[in-house]
Amino acid sequence: MTELLKRLCLINGVSGDEDRVREAVIGRIRDHCDELSTDPLGSLIAFKSGRSAGKKLMVCAHMDEVGFIITHINSDGTLSFDEVGGIDPSVVIGRQVKVGKAGLEGVVGSPAVHNLSKEEREAPPKFSGMTIDIGASSKEEAEKYVSPGDCAYFSSEFLEMGSRIKSKAIDDRAGCAMMIRLMQEDLPYDTWFVFNVQEEIGLRGSAASAFTVAPDFALVLEATTAADIDGVSGQKKVCSLGGGPVVGFMDRRTIYDRDLYRLAFDTAKEMGIPCQTKTAVAGGNDAGAIHISGRGVRTLAVSVPCRYLHSPACVIDREDLENTYALVRELAGRIPGL
Amino acid sequence: MDLFTDIKELAEAWGPSGCEGPAGDLAMFMLESYCSEVHASGNNVIGRFGTHQKGKPHLVLDAHIDQIGMIVTGISDDGFVKVDSLGGIDRRLLPTQQVLIYGERQIPGVFSTLPPHLAQGGNKVMTFAEAAIDTGLPKEELEELVSPGDCVKFDVKLKRLLGERVTCGALDDRCGVACILYALELLKGCELRYNVTVIFSCQEEVGERGAKIGAFELSPDIAIAVDVSFAMNTGEDPKKCGELGKGPMIGISPSLSRRVSDKLIACAKAAQIPFQYEVMNGTTGTNADRYSVERGGAETGTVSIPLRNMHTPAEVIDIEDVRLSARLLAEFIKEEQK
Repeated sequence: MTELLKRLCLINGVSGDEDRVREAVIGRIRDHCDELSTDPLGSLIAFKSGRSAGKKLMVCAHMDEVGFIITHINSDGTLSFDEVGGIDPSVVIGRQVKVGKAGLEGVVGSPAVHNLSKEEREAPPKFSGMTIDIGASSKEEAEKYVSPGDCAYFSSEFLEMGSRIKSKAIDDRAGCAMMIRLMQEDLPYDTWFVFNVQEEIGLRGSAASAFTVAPDFALVLEATTAADIDGVSGQKKVCSLGGGPVVGFMDRRTIYDRDLYRLAFDTAKEMGIPCQTKTAVAGGNDAGAIHISGRGVRTLAVSVPCRYLHSPACVIDREDLENTYALVRELAGRIPGL
Repeated sequence: MDLFTDIKELAEAWGPSGCEGPAGDLAMFMLESYCSEVHASGNNVIGRFGTHQKGKPHLVLDAHIDQIGMIVTGISDDGFVKVDSLGGIDRRLLPTQQVLIYGERQIPGVFSTLPPHLAQGGNKVMTFAEAAIDTGLPKEELEELVSPGDCVKFDVKLKRLLGERVTCGALDDRCGVACILYALELLKGCELRYNVTVIFSCQEEVGERGAKIGAFELSPDIAIAVDVSFAMNTGEDPKKCGELGKGPMIGISPSLSRRVSDKLIACAKAAQIPFQYEVMNGTTGTNADRYSVERGGAETGTVSIPLRNMHTPAEVIDIEDVRLSARLLAEFIKEEQK
């Protein structure tokens, strides 16, 4: 699955700009489903029949990643931009980025530290005033390559560090990878698979696709906030790498279905794999839109614990990814029979 | 020589202050193409250009071989690598920055941070006491591989931007090293006004320490520091900056020899080399400050290559400026045509 994840993470696809991710997904699932369509927003909806019908289960993940959108080309040839999705400006300054569909090289500069006042050095950076430098010496030169509305992306290699993986866009290409793999298996029940757009700007794609599919149950596959880093202890870690799949009871957008929550932990226990909850009510994912879609959908999110979410260097554990997949696969075989 | 390739190889080589070995070895190898006598003096690399003749003044061309970086101070209980700075690091851009640790082998890592989902009104820039590198390796394995005193650098590859602009870390001052090498290339076979010695000096970023002992060893009559200076960029003060692509910045300062500055300017004008004034009101912050007052003193000058985003992994230069700076040095050194 590492190779599949790598392929997916290295594709650039900011919210509203998921075309290339979708094409890559289609190429991998085309021969493994019975129906396949792209909805008006760009989400990919697939149906795969199983050995029996059961209740209607929708498994989903989002294709978009956080990134940037070019807003203006300045007279000195630099590019003004806004962030797309929630990004800490300190993971953006002093970084290489890629610009536009052609993947033009660029950097986000910063005034030299020598020229900052003591106060400025101690103040976290802000997006206002940051620009992308593609090496253009004038507005005219930049305009040959870039237009306002083009997206820009984190530029970061996919790296294996011991048992860990570091990459951009693990949120949520990890979910996409698990879905692709699940679709290649022989399934016990009919299942709908949705690859959503625009999660990072407020769960937009899933709102529409959940209505279209109108499932009884939804299983959202995600990467979620591990804070098990130096200097953080106890509950503040939220969840930990190596602790197995993360099944939360509540986040900022959703109170998860209690029975499904218990089912997940019982199933993991039966399978002998670790499983953890989130020890903080934080973040949110497509479940927030899905569980209140139509007359309501019984929803659960199963996530890979991930450090440094929404940065060029998300870090996950390979074993967590395998264990998360194993749990998801088992749950997909049980939920429609509830 | 291919200036682009030399700059790329030099900028990607290892050499934080005090740990200049690999970059120094590479620079020495490159210098051997031009100098009959090359030696290392500590981590300073020194080469004598051509045959020195009695009666000619002794000119030293200096570029520093070290780069800013970090040094390992320990491994935390949770298995994160703790570091302190080597040179002026902008701590605002540390979160999720990718680094390499020069331990028993080169170990990749990223600086830890909390994701925006969990950050609580983060109005503080992380200190080095708080900063920690995540290598993905368990503590026991890490302790076998990493020790206090090991060096760390930002892990970044050189990328081509538009035109002749490039981005990488450590262009400060590897582009100065490349500039001197290119000047020697231009001087091949020329009559020289001076006995020329080249030094690629260590530990500039921690206070021009390599140049201090280099100046003592070489005892020049004239020394020119070939370093980088601030190029105008978003957020910078145009009064304090040169511009990319407009040629070498010639230093004028109470601490520099006015005769040397005037001669550099005259050479640029005579050879129609575009140049920029860099006026300073005291010492220069370059190795020139050391040569001026070592032993009985020397006449000094600075030729600086404009550079954006100094001391970040996203430094930007225009290779044309390196070429023009090398031409200026060659003009300064060449015997005037009768």
